[in-house]
Amino acid sequence: MQENTIFIKQYHAGDALFPVNEKEIARYAGYYGANDTMEEGVNALMHLVMDEMRDALSFRVCYRRMDVVWENGRPVLQSDSGPNREEKWLSSSAMLAECLAGSSEVVLFAATAGLAIDRYIAKNQRISPTKALFAQAYGAERVESLCNGFCREMELQAAKSGLSCTARFSPGYGDLKLETQKDVFRMLDCSRQIGVTLNDSLLMTPSKSVTAIFGIGECVGGKRRNKCRDCGKTDCELRTVEEER
Amino acid sequence: MNVLEYIKQNITYLDGGMGTLLQKRGLLPGELPERWNVSHPEVIVEIQKSYFDAGSNIVCTNTFGANCLKFDEEELPVLIRAAVENARRAKELSTGTQEKFIALDIGSIGKLLKPYGDYDFEDAVSVYAKTVEIGAQCGVDLIFIETMNDSYDTKAALLAAKENSDLPVFVSNAYGEDGKLMTGATPAVMVAMLEGMQADAIGANCSLGPKQLKRVVEEYLEYASVPVLLKPNAGLPRSENGQTVYDVLPEEFSQDVAEYVASGVRIAGGCCGTTPDYIRAVVEKTAGLTPVPLREKNRTLISSYTHAVEFSTSPILIGERINPTGKKRFKEALRSNDINYILGEGLSQQEKGVHVLDVNVGLPEIDEVKMLRTVCYELQAIIDLPLQIDTTDVTAMEQALRYYNGKAMINSVNGKQEVMRQIFPLVRKYGGLVVCLTLDEEGIPEQAERRVEIARNIIRTAEEYGIPKKDLIFDTLAMAVSADSHAALATLQSLNTIRHELGCHTSLGVSNVSFGLPNREIITASFFSLAMENGLSAAIMNPNSAEMMKSYYSFRALHGIDLNCADYIENIGRYATVATTPGVPGGSTAGVGSAQDGTPIQSDLQRAIVKGLKEQAAELTVAMLETVEPLQIVSEHIIPALDIVGQGFEKKTMYLPQLLMSAEASQNAFEQIKKKMSEGPSESVSRGKFVIATVHGDIHDIGKNIVKLILENYGFDVIDLGKDVPSETVVDAVIEQNAPLVGLSALMTTTVPAMEETIKQLRQRAPFAKVVVGGAVLTQEYADSIGADYYAKDAMATVRYAMQQTEA
Repeated sequence: MQENTIFIKQYHAGDALFPVNEKEIARYAGYYGANDTMEEGVNALMHLVMDEMRDALSFRVCYRRMDVVWENGRPVLQSDSGPNREEKWLSSSAMLAECLAGSSEVVLFAATAGLAIDRYIAKNQRISPTKALFAQAYGAERVESLCNGFCREMELQAAKSGLSCTARFSPGYGDLKLETQKDVFRMLDCSRQIGVTLNDSLLMTPSKSVTAIFGIGECVGGKRRNKCRDCGKTDCELRTVEEER
Repeated sequence: MNVLEYIKQNITYLDGGMGTLLQKRGLLPGELPERWNVSHPEVIVEIQKSYFDAGSNIVCTNTFGANCLKFDEEELPVLIRAAVENARRAKELSTGTQEKFIALDIGSIGKLLKPYGDYDFEDAVSVYAKTVEIGAQCGVDLIFIETMNDSYDTKAALLAAKENSDLPVFVSNAYGEDGKLMTGATPAVMVAMLEGMQADAIGANCSLGPKQLKRVVEEYLEYASVPVLLKPNAGLPRSENGQTVYDVLPEEFSQDVAEYVASGVRIAGGCCGTTPDYIRAVVEKTAGLTPVPLREKNRTLISSYTHAVEFSTSPILIGERINPTGKKRFKEALRSNDINYILGEGLSQQEKGVHVLDVNVGLPEIDEVKMLRTVCYELQAIIDLPLQIDTTDVTAMEQALRYYNGKAMINSVNGKQEVMRQIFPLVRKYGGLVVCLTLDEEGIPEQAERRVEIARNIIRTAEEYGIPKKDLIFDTLAMAVSADSHAALATLQSLNTIRHELGCHTSLGVSNVSFGLPNREIITASFFSLAMENGLSAAIMNPNSAEMMKSYYSFRALHGIDLNCADYIENIGRYATVATTPGVPGGSTAGVGSAQDGTPIQSDLQRAIVKGLKEQAAELTVAMLETVEPLQIVSEHIIPALDIVGQGFEKKTMYLPQLLMSAEASQNAFEQIKKKMSEGPSESVSRGKFVIATVHGDIHDIGKNIVKLILENYGFDVIDLGKDVPSETVVDAVIEQNAPLVGLSALMTTTVPAMEETIKQLRQRAPFAKVVVGGAVLTQEYADSIGADYYAKDAMATVRYAMQQTEA
């Protein structure tokens, strides 16, 4: 009955599992001169913000591991065959199906870097909007790093049983509708488990939170997308042209 | 027997996990367990009966998520009634001979309340109220509010329970490994708030196993005077050979819980992962224990949403600056609804080290009820200090207390019967530490003895309302010593008696003592020291006064409160020397340097702005104002500096953080210019009005705030309506301000329809206004499709468009 359990993880943000990528923070803050070195004053302010926020971060993840079967090239949750027919969302996206190809299980997770970031941002909007901007960038980088660290842990765990993991995929990306956030929240009970709530506009609070899904299987051949190159928003200021991993 | 009588005399046993057991019996992921009350009543009865059989005194109904957000009007009462009926059936079928009670179980509605979420506090109260009403009609014995991980949400649920039933209410919160709720509150915060609101038993459940909750339990037992309850998980779930197992088994679990019972926990059960076996083990392990007697802990606490402040030996500083009395600029801010200015006063006092903020926004010509509520709300959105709500308007007081997140200080009552009759019921309902002025119908007595007598009278009356002495703090009224040489002595003597003989805490607005004397700060600070020596628990004071802060740190060091004088050493340097007037920093030469793109920089001020040096920009402006006309500084130094940065940004030689840092620096320079200009005849420098808002449903406004700042820098008079703003509010503001420009921001595809609706309404009712849109999700096509006049890709694009429109 493992798929009936929601597991919770709490981490220390300073853990080696979550290396800090300063270039990424700068980029999220709109400092995207590709190879520019950062002006000293700006750099100092960025580090001040990072120092002030470091101890306030609270990394939490809740997740659920579920079996899937494949029907007409789309993944379907096992529980879908029961009386509860609401789980169709998983098979609603062609891109998600591509990503999960070859999986026999999926992991659905929600991760958050905590509400203290939102508090810090709210306060600093009144005092120093630049600090708020860096805080927002730092938070974005942190929650991304949290997701990476969590996925790496799960990969290692899966590897012990000879399994591997696909890349992760989030609601709102590609053709997986943002509305599926409602299903994710229903499945993961995020508010109770890790304090993440969803409003009617499908925004999460704390704002630095992510939900995603990835597959596990003996031979996963899922398409690893380049999150920027494969994204439809071509005028995005944050767009990078990284090589596919 | 009534459950309240029962818990007074006995160790009381709760039930264990429900959700985990339902899952074992086939509840699917994502399926709502409350529906099983109707679809599988036999399963629910069987589980609940097994808890009663195991020895539980209180079994909760299967209604954790039964609220009107999850179920419609028809289904909700059916589910709750069925749930109560199931529990009643289990009680009847059980062979257990112990006293048995049924609790209406209430869990969180799962919405984060404003200001961090977008759900209104009063709406949350209504949702809980609905569940309480139905449950109470079904005839349960008590209400059990549990697994709450936010203090404000907890307050909404408890308030609903109290307002819609006479049932006993137990409240249980879920703490993380850091010993705090998800939104930051410590156990002491919850004790302060929940006891103040008359919860009948309080404690912790879920999240962690019994061992990890040690610190949490200890804190409850230290502060709580009401019975403490505990309902831990069977540790954490982990995966073992494809099976889920909880890592704490009944033997260890019951051992741990028994230890907590021995040290004072009165009500015990289990949460996720626990089963009837766990409860049976707990009952067996604690069978021989006598409950630790309940004791009034007499700890005086107030709280914000993150931490509690205790009134004890170390004097508490209450910042007095949020108050219009005698402050022209503050009155102006109140009249013009300039909340930012008021928040600034709060932030600067927090920085100076006060523990509590007094909030007084009373002015005859403003709506105090609304203003007090707004200011308290906005302060709590950015500052985590507890507030002292200071008003003579009873309605304003009630509203502020109702929406306050935590346990506030209440300023004030006095010995007048009429005043006590108005205020004490509010204290009883919402909780609070009340400042009691030792005056009555006959005025302020000159004699210390009479002031003490009034205090005794207030204590007696408070008791009649069920308000304990620990929630009263006496102000023996500092009077001008220049008018009466014995005034200070009377104050100090009565203070001493009340603190040491009546055993109550004391507070003073110390600065009144020096009224009418020169160099007031010096004598005020001396009086402050004397008052502390006589047992002053708290002072309403000005933290900007170096003399006061010196007295404070010295007193603590001399009284053995400040160990190793650590705080004194750390802080006193700030007050040791008189602050020098800011001047021009040395070593700078005008007319040198260049911006990153080679544009020559004309002055130090220009450079300071380009480089984003806030303090320097202000200092240089002050110096320059001595010789140069304010408007000349704007046109020849500030605007050219902004242009350098703006153009750099557009050419991508400078980036957003630099644009913002410059904007902050120039804002500092503008502040000085405004100050100077307000001294002379007023001259408008506004380029025009610009209404800005993040649209309805969208709660992130960092981008909008960036645009606002840059617009202000370029001389626009920006009317900021905030985030999550309904269409009507935007249109009303545009019409009222006759604003030619409106900026709307949206972050999500889901909120673009709200933007479209706002534009539609603007076109109908305010066709004169041009609409600029922006935000993460917007594109030119999107902007065109919803009928905006202009799509601005960033802050500078908005400025350029706005300037073009106003110049046209």
